[in-house]
Order: sequence, then C-alpha cells, then structure tokens
Amino acid sequence: MSEEQKREESRPAEPEAARREDAAEARTGGPADARVENAGEEKRDEPAAEGGRETVTAREASGGGSAGTEAGQPAQPQPDAASDQPASAAGAEAEGKAAPAGDGDGARAGDGADAGTGKSGGEAADAGKAAVDPEREAKIRAAQEARAARLAAKAAAGAAAGGAAAGKDAAAAEPKPPSPKQPWLDEAVELLKTEVHPEAVEEATINALSDDMPTIVVKAEHWPAAAKLLRDHEKLGCRYLRNVTGVDYETHMEVVYFVINMETKREYAIKIRTDREHPSVPSAVPVWPGADWPEREIYDLLGIEFPGHPNLRRILMPDDWVGHPLRKDYVPLDPEV
Amino acid sequence: MKGMIQGLGVTLKTMFSKKVTYAYPDEPLKMPDRFRGIQHFDPDKCIVCNQCARICPTQCITLTGKPNPDPEKKGKVIDTYDINFELCILCDLCTEVCPTEAIVMTNNFELAAYSRDELFKDREWLENNNTNIRQDNNNIGAPQRGGAK
Amino acid sequence: MIRTEELLLNVGPQHPSTHGVLRIVVKLDGEVIKEATPVIGYLHRGTEKLAESLNYTQIIPYTDRMDYLSAMTNNYVLCYAVEKMMGIEVPERAQFLRLIVMELQRIASHLVWWGTYLLDLGALSPFLFAFKDREKIVDLFNELCGARLTYNYMRVGGVKWDAPPGWIDKVRDFIPYMEKQLQDYDRLVTGNEIFLNRVKGIGKYDAETAIAWGLSGVNLRCTGVKWDLRKDEPYCIYDRFEFDVPVGKNGDCYDRYLLRIEEIRQSLRILKQAVEQFPSSGETMGKVPRVIRPPEGETYVRIEAPRGELGCHIVSKGKAEPYRLKFRRPSFNNLQMLPKLLVGETMSNLIAILGGVDIVLGEVDC
Repeated sequence: MSEEQKREESRPAEPEAARREDAAEARTGGPADARVENAGEEKRDEPAAEGGRETVTAREASGGGSAGTEAGQPAQPQPDAASDQPASAAGAEAEGKAAPAGDGDGARAGDGADAGTGKSGGEAADAGKAAVDPEREAKIRAAQEARAARLAAKAAAGAAAGGAAAGKDAAAAEPKPPSPKQPWLDEAVELLKTEVHPEAVEEATINALSDDMPTIVVKAEHWPAAAKLLRDHEKLGCRYLRNVTGVDYETHMEVVYFVINMETKREYAIKIRTDREHPSVPSAVPVWPGADWPEREIYDLLGIEFPGHPNLRRILMPDDWVGHPLRKDYVPLDPEV
Repeated sequence: MKGMIQGLGVTLKTMFSKKVTYAYPDEPLKMPDRFRGIQHFDPDKCIVCNQCARICPTQCITLTGKPNPDPEKKGKVIDTYDINFELCILCDLCTEVCPTEAIVMTNNFELAAYSRDELFKDREWLENNNTNIRQDNNNIGAPQRGGAK
Repeated sequence: MIRTEELLLNVGPQHPSTHGVLRIVVKLDGEVIKEATPVIGYLHRGTEKLAESLNYTQIIPYTDRMDYLSAMTNNYVLCYAVEKMMGIEVPERAQFLRLIVMELQRIASHLVWWGTYLLDLGALSPFLFAFKDREKIVDLFNELCGARLTYNYMRVGGVKWDAPPGWIDKVRDFIPYMEKQLQDYDRLVTGNEIFLNRVKGIGKYDAETAIAWGLSGVNLRCTGVKWDLRKDEPYCIYDRFEFDVPVGKNGDCYDRYLLRIEEIRQSLRILKQAVEQFPSSGETMGKVPRVIRPPEGETYVRIEAPRGELGCHIVSKGKAEPYRLKFRRPSFNNLQMLPKLLVGETMSNLIAILGGVDIVLGEVDC
C-alpha cells in the first residue's frame, strides 16, 4: 500500500490535475465518475485497452472530455491531449454549463479521480513497468494523438454539436417550423381553460411522431366537463370517438381518448392520468356511447375503474378471473392456466 | 317471383361449367414454389448462430451446438436441433434470418399425427424431410446480405 | 290458464351463424327479443400482452391471426405505425405491392362475408360461389408469399417477397373475371324476393347514432356519412387512384349488403389502375436498420380495413419491443351496438343483423 501511495505521489500531479480539469469539462459529475471508474477498470486489461479507448471515444462524441480522463495514467502525452481537450471541447454551452457545475463536480470527480488513479495508477505503473516496450508506448501515444486530433477536428467543426446535449437540442429545435396543427391545440387549450376550469389542462403538446397530433393531458376530475365541451362546442365539435387506450406506465396509468371532428378533420388525443393504487377515470359513456366496450376492456385488462359507466364488468377475461392481465406487474394466480 | 327465377338460371348455368374442386387425398396437391411448409434442416450448413431460435415468435426451436470435432477448424457444429410443431406457426422467419440457408421450408404440409409426441421433430427427421424443398428462399434478414430488415 | 314467461336463450359460442365464438344471451318473450347481451372473450389470446415481449418483426405473424380473414391489412397497420414513428420511406414498388395485396384482400374478405351472410339467411349456393372466387385470390397469395391465410407478408420498410414473374398478369386477368362474377351474383341474389324480405328495413339506425357509437366502415357509411379513411386520411398510395366511396341512405341491412358489393367493384377499379401503373422495377424493402427501434414516444395510425377503421396505437420506450401495443379493432367497436339494435326484433332478424355487422371474432377478442 505504501508503495502504491508512493507511486501515487510520484506520479506527476499533471494527470490528476488534467483529470480534474477534464472532469470539470464533463457535463455532470455522475457520468464523469462513472467514466473515470470505467476508464480505470478498462485500463486494466491490456488487450482491452484499445477497445476501452474506442468505446470511450464513442461516448465522447456525445459529450465531455472523457478521453482526457481515461487516458489519464499511462503516458505523458495525456496532458497534451488533455490540454487540447479543454480548448476545443469547451464550446460556448459546455463551458457555461460545466463552469458552475465544475466546482462541485471537480471535487467529486477529484475523489473519483483519486480512486481511479489509485487503482489504475498502481496497475498502470505495473503495466508500464512490465510492458515497457518502446513499440507499445509509441503505439499508444500515436493512437492517443490521433484520437485527440480527431476530437479537435470534430469539436472545431461543430462546437455546439459536440458539446452539451442542450446545445444540440437548441440547435436542432430552432429550424423546425411550428406545426400547422398548433392553432388547433391552442384553441382547444384556451377553450378548456376558460370554459371548464383554469386548472383543467396539465400539458398540451404536439406529437410529432404521430402526424403532429395535438395531445392534451386533462385532469381526471375535470374530464366529464371537458368531454362535453369537446363534443358540443361549435369550434371543436368532436363527435366521433375513435379509440380508447389504457397504458400502464409503472408509476401511473393513463387513459388516452382519440376524438375527431369528421367535418373539419380536427382531431385530438386526450390523456387522463391516474395513479396506480386506485386508478379511476370518469367514464366518457354519457358523452360518447361508443366508449362503452373499450372502457370495459380497459377495466378488465388494466383495472382502471370508470365511475359513471353503465355496465362495468369484465369483458374479455372470464367473469371470475382474479387480477388484471395487462398490468406490468401481473402474475397469474394459477400458473397452469 | 322473377328474382328467384333469375337466380335459378344462374345456378343452372353453373351446373354445366367446369369443376373446380381438387381430388385431394387421391391426388397430391401441388403447391407453388414459395409455399411455407414443414422445414428441412441441413446440419452441414448450420453455423450455430442461434438467429433462428431468437427470431422465432413462438420459441419453438431449441438447439445445441458442440465445438467442431475437427481440431483445425473453428466454430461450432450443430449437435441437436428440435422444432416443436405444436408451437411452430410456419411463419418463415427462421428461414428469413438464416445466413447459410441451413433451414429452409419445403412444400410439404401434411403433418397430422395421432399423438402429440410425434409433433416434436428432431434433427434427423428434419434432415430427412428433403423432398419438395423450396427454391426461392429470399432470406432478406440474413446478416451477410446486408440485413435489410 | 295460458301465461307467457320470459325465456333465456343462449345463442351459444358454438353456433354456425355467429361467425366465430360469440355468445349472445337473449331474453325472449315468445319470438321477440327483450334484451340481448353479447358475451365475448372466448378467443382472447392476449396478443397485446405478448407483443410487449416480442420485437416488431416477430409481432407481424401474430397480427395475421387477429382478423384472419383480412390478414394483409393487419400486417399493414403495424408496419405503417412503426414506419411512421421511425420516418422510414417505403419504396414505390413495395407500396404498389402492398396496395394491390390489400385490395385483393378486401375483395376476398367481402366475398367471405357475402357467402356466409347468405348462408345464414338460408341460401346455400352463394357460399360455394363466393369460395370458388376467393380460392382464386387465395391462390394468388399463395404464389406470392407462400401461405393461404396467415401471410406474414409485410415487413417494416417494405414487403418480404417481390411479385413472381407472371403474377401481375394473373391479377390483371382476375379483374374482368370477377366483374363478370359480380354480375352473376346480382342476378342470383339481389333481386330475390325472399332475400329482400329478410333484409330490407331490418336493423335500421341513423347517422347520429352511428357516429355517437363510434361505428366505422360500412356500418357507418350505410347511414349516409361519407367517411372512408382511404379518402379522408389517405395512407399508402391511395391518393393516386380514382375510386368512389359508396354511401347508403337508409341504414338498414340491405344497404350494408349493397354497399359491400359495390365496394368489391370499387376495389376492382383500384386494382385495374394499380396494375396499369405498376412500376416495372424497384426495391421491395426500404432502408431499415438491423434492429428496429422506434424512438421514444407514441403514435396512433388507422387504416380502412374491410370491416372498418383498424387502428394501431404504439407506445414505445425506444426499445426493440413495444411498451404498449393496442389495436383498435373495428369488429369490437361495431359489435357494441348490437344490444341496442336487437331490442324488439325477432330471432331470425337477429341472425340477419348480426351477419350484417360483419364481425370476425379473432378481431373482437384480439
């Protein structure tokens, strides 16, 4: 242990400093820790060393200066690569984000770095001493320099794109024009807020994956009034209920109603969230009688109650079945059946 | 009355037209080449990649491999290969992903048996089931072809 | 002293006229129905639950078995949903093949409906005519993809098999043959007095009720509402072809009958145009990644299946399996109106009305 400690101290302070710096470049402390730890572990196998660097390069593309961190120990070129890193990878956003997070992260990453160094420092020292072939050293150096060069090129090419994800999103989201269905969404949300209740709408989004379907999350207690509004208001007039789906997310459950106005083709997807212990959503049958069997199916398979439904019984499973099969935590009572 | 007479006319006309039924059990039924019948397995081509067992929607294929008995060659050789025809829906996904066309469909479809035990076919049976093998296999899911799936 | 009692009759799950395992518990007063309760679930196979552990290509054979009489449309709705989520472009020739196959499937499905409907009503020969013609379509499918009922033909990004040489010509020859057969069917059945007495004016409902109850397909169009997803929310390449959407007036069983026959004619019309415009060469699969992983999110797509609006709602968490896959089955939603329609009808009308709704139990139960 003392030997390792000595080695730790004797190891130039540069890699540690470099690592702290690079960890500060990283977006969050968690992944930086993980990366440092991982890098430490990967460093241990020689054949895996190259592979380790490859995977870490891949991760790098999405963010931070992990290459710098992992390449901490073996060779002196590290500081070069590391110093290249901060200069190039520090895109506007990355630096902005990393700086305030940097201090806290730096402290944590410092510890992680220490641990990493401790472990891998000892290992790498051994490795360095054992496989001191100049060829291998040269190869490692060349690979690292190449990678650093690639990184510099990539970072230089797109500072915002290479840096933080927020940067990426902002750059990507800007050019996308607002969807043509946005006015439908806004109008519906307005009407729901004014006519039903100001708190009725929780969220309102456009679902780009589904042909820009306006998706509104309505609170369960305001759903009956909201449903009436959707059907009867002259601007909305959604008289045709197409589909009712129940979804079991592990933290809550959701019921999605898809409605459409056949004349104007205006359509909405209304989601109502409910909790898992006593899931209950007011029934839409008084407004759209076509919700009858779909709601019974959701009750049967997921266990969501629909107060106000005229005939809430099991429909697909036998009447004396125990449990709700489509739930994520469903375990059949009788495994033989 | 008139409608019924007209209808009767149509039926009488059909009485004199050509027969469309097949004399099935007496004459074998010839299926087109792409017909998905029972599989044929060629153990020499199998590289034990396990793709067929993984893609099977009903998980009816079980296989084990053993290291190649020839010490020079690498890779595995197939040891046992069973298809449970109680589960197999003859969907053709296993032949679609096989990179070496070791498993292909034939045009045979008669699998009826008097006991369920006979429906569990092992490697030997599948190897011997080599009549009417389908020519056009179109394994678009196989990795070698670029795997366009 | 004569008194009447209510009779509880079980039109049981095993019945030649219920088109599958449907059970209707009927309270009868003499021959008149007081109350009818459909009981379903005898064919529930848990497709939606199974789908949560299979990847998308493995689910396609399961979709075949939902509405087994129109399996191609079921395949298509799943592939369409995934392609929409991932933004995959399907090549031209594949689109044409999909369209041709779906329209042939529509004709086959309507033929089965026609044959079995008339069989329920007591006419025994149209059943054989229908199956003779359906055999031709099924043979075409056999040549194309190797199966007669459960095709497993479509894949995410295209279709599995290209048309074998000569297949398009066979489709082209089928069209005039079928048109001639339709004329024969008209002569055979449509003017028949017994038939007209059995279906005219039976099972009437109006457009308001149809829309409120969420009916779709022919059940909605027989009331006069012109709503066909091939025209109103076009998918595949339906917007390139000219065809009419037949719409009824009275909303009774006779209208539904006439509409379905007319839909076969319109499908033949689309087929004629499609076969003409069929691209002579092209890819059958688009650019699809090896492992199909739709991005996180959800989508709901719908197409016009022969029985109505078939929808597929996928909630994906970015994995190769769906997190929740729900099919909106037309027969399920169409069947829920049955109790309301049957009150006050006689038992023989029950058969006529049930047949007119055109349900397939594989779809009702999923």
